[in-house]
Order: sequence, then C-alpha cells, then structure tokens
Amino acid sequence: MNKGFSVVGKSVIREDGIDKVTGKAKFADDYKFDGMLHAVMLRINEAHARINSVDFLEIENNRNVFSIISSADIPGAKKVGMIKNDQPIFCDEKVVTPGDVIAMLVGESEDGLRPLLSKIKIDYSPLPVLNDPKKSLDKDAVLIHPEAGSNLIIHHPLRKGDIQKGFDESDEILEQTYTTQLIEHAYIEPEAVIAIPQGISQGVKIIGSIQNPFSCRRIVAAVLNLPLAKVRVQQAHLGGSFGGKDDTMAILAARAAVAALKTGRPVKIRYSREESILESYKRHPYILDYKAGYMKNGKIKAIKIELLADGGAYTSMSPFVTWRSVVQATGPYEIENVHTDVRAVYTNNPYTGAMRGFGSPQPIFAQESLMDEIALRLGMTPDEIRRINGYKVGSVTATGQTLKDHDVNLITVLSTACENTDFAKKWKNNLKKKSVALELSKDSPILKDDQFIRPDDNIKKGIGLALSFRGCSLGAEGMDASAAYISIQNDGSVYLDCGLAENGQGLRTTYTIIASEVLGVSPDKIIYLELDTGITPDSGPTVASRGTIMGGGAVKNAAETVRDKLTALVKEEFKLPADDIISFTDNHVHSESEGTLASFQDVCKIASSQGMNLSAIGWYKGPNVHWDEETGQGDAYFTYVYGCQVAEVSVNISTGEVYIDKITAVHDPGTVINRLGAEGQVFGGVTQGAGYGIFEEVTTDKGFIRELNFDTYTIPTSKDISEIIPIFVEGKESYGPWGAKSLGEPTLELTAAAISNAVCNALGKRLFNLPLNLEEVLLNIKLRPADTKRGSLV
Amino acid sequence: MMPRFEIIFPDNLSDALSVLSSGHEHMQIIAGGTDVITGLGQGSNRFKNTKMLIDINNIPEVNGIEIGREKISIGGAVTFSDILQSEFIERSFPLLWKSVSTIGSVQIRNRATIAGNFVNNAPCADTVPVLLVYNATIVIESMSSKREISLYEFLSGPYKTKLSRNEIVTRINIPIPNKNLNGDFYKLGRRRAVAISRITLAVLADVNSESKINEIRIASGAVTPIGTRFFDLEKIAKGKKADDQFFKDMAGKLGEKIIEVTGLRWSSEYKLPVVQQVFYQLLKGIERG
Repeated sequence: MNKGFSVVGKSVIREDGIDKVTGKAKFADDYKFDGMLHAVMLRINEAHARINSVDFLEIENNRNVFSIISSADIPGAKKVGMIKNDQPIFCDEKVVTPGDVIAMLVGESEDGLRPLLSKIKIDYSPLPVLNDPKKSLDKDAVLIHPEAGSNLIIHHPLRKGDIQKGFDESDEILEQTYTTQLIEHAYIEPEAVIAIPQGISQGVKIIGSIQNPFSCRRIVAAVLNLPLAKVRVQQAHLGGSFGGKDDTMAILAARAAVAALKTGRPVKIRYSREESILESYKRHPYILDYKAGYMKNGKIKAIKIELLADGGAYTSMSPFVTWRSVVQATGPYEIENVHTDVRAVYTNNPYTGAMRGFGSPQPIFAQESLMDEIALRLGMTPDEIRRINGYKVGSVTATGQTLKDHDVNLITVLSTACENTDFAKKWKNNLKKKSVALELSKDSPILKDDQFIRPDDNIKKGIGLALSFRGCSLGAEGMDASAAYISIQNDGSVYLDCGLAENGQGLRTTYTIIASEVLGVSPDKIIYLELDTGITPDSGPTVASRGTIMGGGAVKNAAETVRDKLTALVKEEFKLPADDIISFTDNHVHSESEGTLASFQDVCKIASSQGMNLSAIGWYKGPNVHWDEETGQGDAYFTYVYGCQVAEVSVNISTGEVYIDKITAVHDPGTVINRLGAEGQVFGGVTQGAGYGIFEEVTTDKGFIRELNFDTYTIPTSKDISEIIPIFVEGKESYGPWGAKSLGEPTLELTAAAISNAVCNALGKRLFNLPLNLEEVLLNIKLRPADTKRGSLV
Repeated sequence: MMPRFEIIFPDNLSDALSVLSSGHEHMQIIAGGTDVITGLGQGSNRFKNTKMLIDINNIPEVNGIEIGREKISIGGAVTFSDILQSEFIERSFPLLWKSVSTIGSVQIRNRATIAGNFVNNAPCADTVPVLLVYNATIVIESMSSKREISLYEFLSGPYKTKLSRNEIVTRINIPIPNKNLNGDFYKLGRRRAVAISRITLAVLADVNSESKINEIRIASGAVTPIGTRFFDLEKIAKGKKADDQFFKDMAGKLGEKIIEVTGLRWSSEYKLPVVQQVFYQLLKGIERG
C-alpha cells in the first residue's frame, strides 16, 4: 500500500449507512405521488401455452379497474432483451414460462384489482413443456421460440493447441460430470417501480429499484418509441440486487411507463416476495463435463470441457454469462491443449441471466473439484497441484492471452491462504482420519447395529481450497467507458455523481474517498448525488465488478481535472515558480516552496470570483480488447484479479449437516480504496457463496417453482457461518484509480468450490452436485417433494 | 394478498367467549399471528372464511406463567420469548426451554405463542413433542363449558385439533416432572436459525442406578403427520436395561413405527435412517442413568 495516501485504504463508514439502518433512506416503494395508480399482473397456470383469446368483459366496467394494459397499448417494441429482443413486455400470444405476464390491470388499489384477475376469461391451448436442458437440442424438441429456428441461445467454442495430441501424450485421463443448481438472487427488497408522465411532450420519468438505469432507459424508450432523452430514470435506494434488478426491472419499468402514458397518471408496480421469485430471472444451472489429461508429475496437458447452461425461457444475459465461462473454464491454469464448448439453451424453466459471479461459480466448482481429484490420484496436496499448473507472469491463458503488465499474483494469494490456515498439514491430517460414511441399504430402511454412530463420532473436520482468476469489467462483451460529474462550490464543498449505480456495494463511499484523496478535502464535505440518467452521461451497466476500476477511474479523472485548474490558479495567484509542486491535503493547498498557502475553501472562493469553471465531467475508457468468436482466442479482458479461499468445515456424518467453521478469503483486488467496504464485500460474497454451496436451490416441477418464499428458500443466517477472515494482497496495476481493480464477484465465486473440497476432505468421498444439502452429503441424492403444494395451505 | 378483515381486542375472557359463542366460521382467534397472518396472506384454505380476528392478548385469563407446587400453568397468549425469560422453566422443564430457543428468530419468538404452536398443529411444530413428553394438558373454555384434556388427545391431525369454533385455549398445564426424569430435545433443520424442522425428537426417561428403565417417554415431530407419543415403544422399554444394544433396537423399532404411521414418502430415504441415528444418539444421553 502506498503510505502516502491520506484517505485511500482507510476504513470509511458508508455515507448512506446511517440513513439505511435508521429507516430514513427512501426505497422505491416509499415514493408516492398524487393520483398514483397501482398495477397487478395477469398470469395463467401454465409453463407453455398458446393464448387464443383474453376476454375482459366481466371486469371491464368494474369500478376498481381504471385501465387494462396489454400488448396493444405498446407504441414501440413489443419484445425486448438486454442482448436479443425475445422477451415480450406482455405475452399476448404465448406464455413460455410460469412467470410470464399476459396483461395488467391498473386501478386505485392492488386489493381492489387482485380479486378481479380470476374473472378474466383466458382461452389457451397448452403446448408440450420442455424442462430438461439436455433434451432441448433434440430433433423432436418443442421449440420455445420457433422464430429462432432452434433452442440454442448461444454456442461459444474455444480451441487451443491439439486436444487429441494432448490426451495421447498424457499419463492419465480423468473424466467427470458436475452439476450446479438454479438459484435466486434473494435481494431483500422485492421489485418496485413508478412511472410518472412528464407533461405533454416530455416523456416519462421512472423511479425504481433499478440496478442499471441506462439499460432500463434503453428498453423503456424502445417500448414507448421515444428518444432516450425523453425517458429519465432515477435510481431509488436499492435493497440489494446482485445482478438481479436488470432485465426484470427494465420490463416492469416499461409496463408501468406504458400504463402511465396511457392513463396520464403515475403508475406503480411492486412485487410481493412470491411474485418476485416467480417472475425474476435466476442464476444458470450448469451441467459440466470435464476431461483432463495429465502427467505423473502433476502437469495438466490437455482439457476438454463441455458446459450446458439452462437459459430458461429467454435469452437475457445468457450469451455474456456463458462467454465469461468459456474464457475462465479451465481455471487459472496454464494448459497447452484446450477444447471447450459452452452452450446455453432455451427451456420452459424460469429464465436465467446475470447474477453476481456471472458464469464463473459454475466452472470454478467443476474445475476446482477436478484439480483436487487429480491431486489425490497423484498423492499431491491441493496446493501442490495448483502451484505446478497455476498462472505466473508470462503465462498464456486458454484464450491465448499472455498475462503481463500487472502483478500476476495467483501463486501469492495461494501461498498466503495456505500459510494463514496451515493448510497442507490440516488437509493431510483430516485425510488420515478415515470417516465412517453411512452406507445405507436400499432393501431395508432400518439401520443395522453396525451402522449406528456414537454421538462423539458425529463430527468430521475438513479443509479445502479454491483458486480463481477473473477478468475485470466487461471484456469483449462490449464498449467499456464510464463518466463522473464533479462540481466544487465556492465554499469548497463538493457535489459528486457517477453514471454507475449504488447497488449496496458502497460505491458512493468509494468514489467519495477517491475525490477526497485527489482534492484533499475531507469526505464529509463531499455530497454524493443520486443517479439520474438525466444528469450524468451513460456509463454502461453497473456490473462485472467494474464500479471501482471504471467509475473510480472516471471520478479520479473528474477530480484531477478540477484540481489541475486550481493548481494553475494557485501558482498564478501566489506567484509561484512554474515547477513548484502544489499539493492538496487536510482541506488545504500547499506548495513545496512556500508551505501551506491557503485553505481549500479560500482557493475555491478566489477561483469563483475569477469566474473559473470548477465543475467537470470525468471520463474513463478501458483499453481495447479483442476476441475471435470462431476459435475463442483473444485478449479477453484488459486485466485480471486473483483470489484463493480456504474453507474449514465440520460435517455431521449422521445427518449430513455442514457447518462452516472458517473461511479465509485472500484476494488481490489491486489497491484497496475503502478497507471497510472491501471487507464488507468479502463478508457478503462469502456468505452468499456459502449459501450457493450448501443450502440454496430453486427447484421446479414442470417449470413451476416450489420455493416461492424464504421459508423454503434458505439463505444462510449469521448462525450458519462462524469466522470469515479477509486478507488483501494488493498487487500493482496500471489501470483503475491508483491501480484499484475488482472485488465484488471474486469473493462469491470461490466459496462453494472451497466448501465442497473441504467436505470431501472430511468425508473421503467427492460430491459432484451443488448444493451440498443434507441429502446430498449423506446419500449423494437430491430429494424433491412430489409437487409444489404446501401443507399449511390445505 | 392480505384480505380485508375486522379485528377486535376484548379485554376479558367472557367478552371474547361471548363474541365467539355465535361460532361463526368467519371468526379467527389471533395471538401472535405468525401462522394466522401468513396464512391469510397466502390465501390458505384454513382461513378462507375469516372476516374477523379476535386478538386475545389483552385478556388477563390467558396471560402469565403461574408456578404451582405440582404444576405450572402457562397462559394461551404467552409468547416464546416470555417462556425463555422464565428461569423456572429453564430449570424445571429444560426440554421445553430448549425447544423454544430453537424456534424461528427473536422477532418470531417475540410474537409467537406456545398455544398457537399446537393449535396450528403443523407437523413440524417444535414444542409439540416436548409438551407431549411432559404430559401437558390444556384448558379449553367456551361460554357454556370449561374442560381440561391432554394435549395428546387434543391433536387430531395435520393442522387439525379438537378445538371448537366457540372455544379458546386459556391455559396449558404441565405437571412438574419427577426429579429422576432426564432427557433431551433434538431438532434438525436445513439451517441453524429460522428453520422449519425436518426432524424433532423428545425423550424423557427415569433410569435407576442399576440402569433399569423405570419410565420412558418418547415423542417426535416432523417425521410423523403430527407430533406424537410412541406409547408402544415406551411400554416395551419399561423395565429394560438401558444399554447400547437396547438403544439400537429401540431406534430400529422407532423407524418401523414411523413407516407404519407415515408410510414411505419422498423424504423417507433421508429422514428414516437419520431419525433412527439421532434417536439412538439421544438415548445415549440417558445411558448414565
């Protein structure tokens, strides 16, 4: 760490923290407007059906109905999408998954409208339902979107070296199949949005729990057939998103906007938890086939990978999610011969899209399980096999990119994690203690005498690790640039804003620190403004852990632009030599030759009196990257981060319970800007990753979700994880503000894999299917209720 | 969607019983509301006719914990948090205290009541097996009658009890157990808090100095359609030697009994071996005598 920093790297309490914990922060559903109407959604209980007709006759004249909104009311695009326009705003022709909305009733109260939904007569013809992604590319499979010609959403091939030659030259071959599950983002605030008509010709304003206001604006504008400037999107305080308030929110905003323009009144849509889980997109379940060829000395020669992602009913972000998978599927290991195919397919299941991790947690679970298995077969420890194959400076990735121009800290994070946990010693010790895995007989459900376990023998300890590299920001997904706005007042106080969104990650505080460091003003003098597409330039989406590296770069650029002007002013005003060095710290301006010259406030007053512009739009554009679609070769991302997590667990061999004793999370995020924020990312990401590892799963029955609320969809509580230890290795980096890179997603992507390796170390048997819930750990099976009914509702 | 309803707050028992005496289906007693309100919100069939809620929290007769020489008497509106604050219950009814401490979260325990737990009678109700092994009885009152029956008798099926529409559970009476009774409560959930039980077990036993079982009481929840006692097993155990082999036999017999009562369900492949295992381990706790 650069010891010269005054604020960067310190722990700063988030600027919106007090408002949030005291209930003062205004979330989307807290906004109310005069004449505001509410909307409720019309759905049918089908996963796949053609809609023949919808008859509103019985409710048309009901006093609770102000307006009925359907596809016919849409002036512009009737189908939208973040990448491909295949998702209808209203499914008036066909539903392809149970969350689909056919039309919307608008009125004064939700309570008045809801009972009317069942009185609408919908004539429909059920279609064959496709739930198994493995069958979606079969010749006789029903087509979810016939106009697409096939159920294939995307195929990303990657070819490096000669795979057959690689296998031929290998001493041993190992082939395994892994699966990962469908999961829900589980943001605590369900979706809410309000569309407010802006006079006759000014279009519409949207206020909502929106992760990406600019993406939302693009879609709303397309649906309304309005220029972008006539759709103004303002972000309310957001109660969690994790990648989840993107497509869903854009579509809800578009529905509300269509209704607002039709009725001329503000229209609010807000979801219950059940409706949120029913309609919102989720994390892709993957089926992962890995075949590795390796030498007796541990060197991996060749790897063949086939990944199949269930995209569900719509394209959403599947092409980009699976693209990250194809880049990173080998893990951080230099392998000469790589042959990877990643496919995403349509089914009638809930659709899948962006979620924190974005196509990395799935291959990491597979690749890190595989590495451990190879280590076991070769009599090596998990860290040994990784040291042999792991990336070093100058290593060439599977996409043919040479890792250089930054600290390639993979082995450093691995060694730091191992030293801090005494990894190899514990791992070997646990392995020696042979566990009494419960072997159950299929014939008799009654235990035999020798199958009983004494209470003292219940708990087995395990330790496991997982390692990853991760491309920062968007990579070859698209244009990568961000903007920030700064305006210094004549009393030295500062307005700051950025086109990237505060989604709970603490970005406002990070940016405040950056501006504070550049200008030498204390953070409390900087007021962070809300994000409004009418005020800041389009900065792309707040995704891909790009907030600090991209938006931080823009904030630094904006602050430096103004500081440079003030520097010139000060030199002139105080008649200092041109080569004098001016510095801004402690709310004062100093010169090398004269010492402290004046307070920052006084300098701003002088600038103002001279008519100087003390505002600026800062800009940060990522360097160009390059990608070849045919071969999967290219410089996929302009830089990478590295992480290693070690999980220590207690496994109850009588019940299959896994308790997380400790996660040691070692990450190289580049320079840490806010230590408290960085640690918060680790605590949150690890907890979410642990949920993915041992608890969470959205299961479906013919496309219908069983876990529609948090009683059955179990996310971890504070009682389920003991210690989380964040350790930062701050590598040098030329990009980003002072070399600050990414942290949000790396913290989540490793945890499930590390836990699985730890459980395997405890049990002496490998588990191939996430989540490692009670049944999986004990019996290697997933058990599901026969249907989606709940006993308490009968 | 939360349906519209009226709510009244009677401040004495006779007023409440008089309102209830009409016995209409649209009336629903509410104490903590952790089952009623969520059930209403989810459109549960059980509350589909509910138009009026009768909040019993202000009624003195259904409040308070009274400690007597022979028994304690817990009011029907006493919350789980109230129970956790009672040192007497922690000392004299350790299984009850433990089961209550595992329920939901602090927020749930601050509202939910012990009577609501068995009146709702979900298969997974955590205090039911414990109250069954403590031989709890309940006092039920209506305008015209007052009766006291055992909890075992009161529970008739999943989400069903012998409570009539015009009645209120006013008290839960639990005899103070003889000092030789020892045991434990076990709960398995999918996580360590705010978890719906997958398996619950309660065991109380009096084992003498020669390791003979003078008396044993066994109850389960979540593995049977409702929380229940296993009187057959208790009879078999009486007079037997409390040793490892006997515990294994008992665990196997419990497994057989559960199959007999419940049949094989989607969850049996997991729950059956585990319930035997944890029952065996629970019995190991009484081995010392």
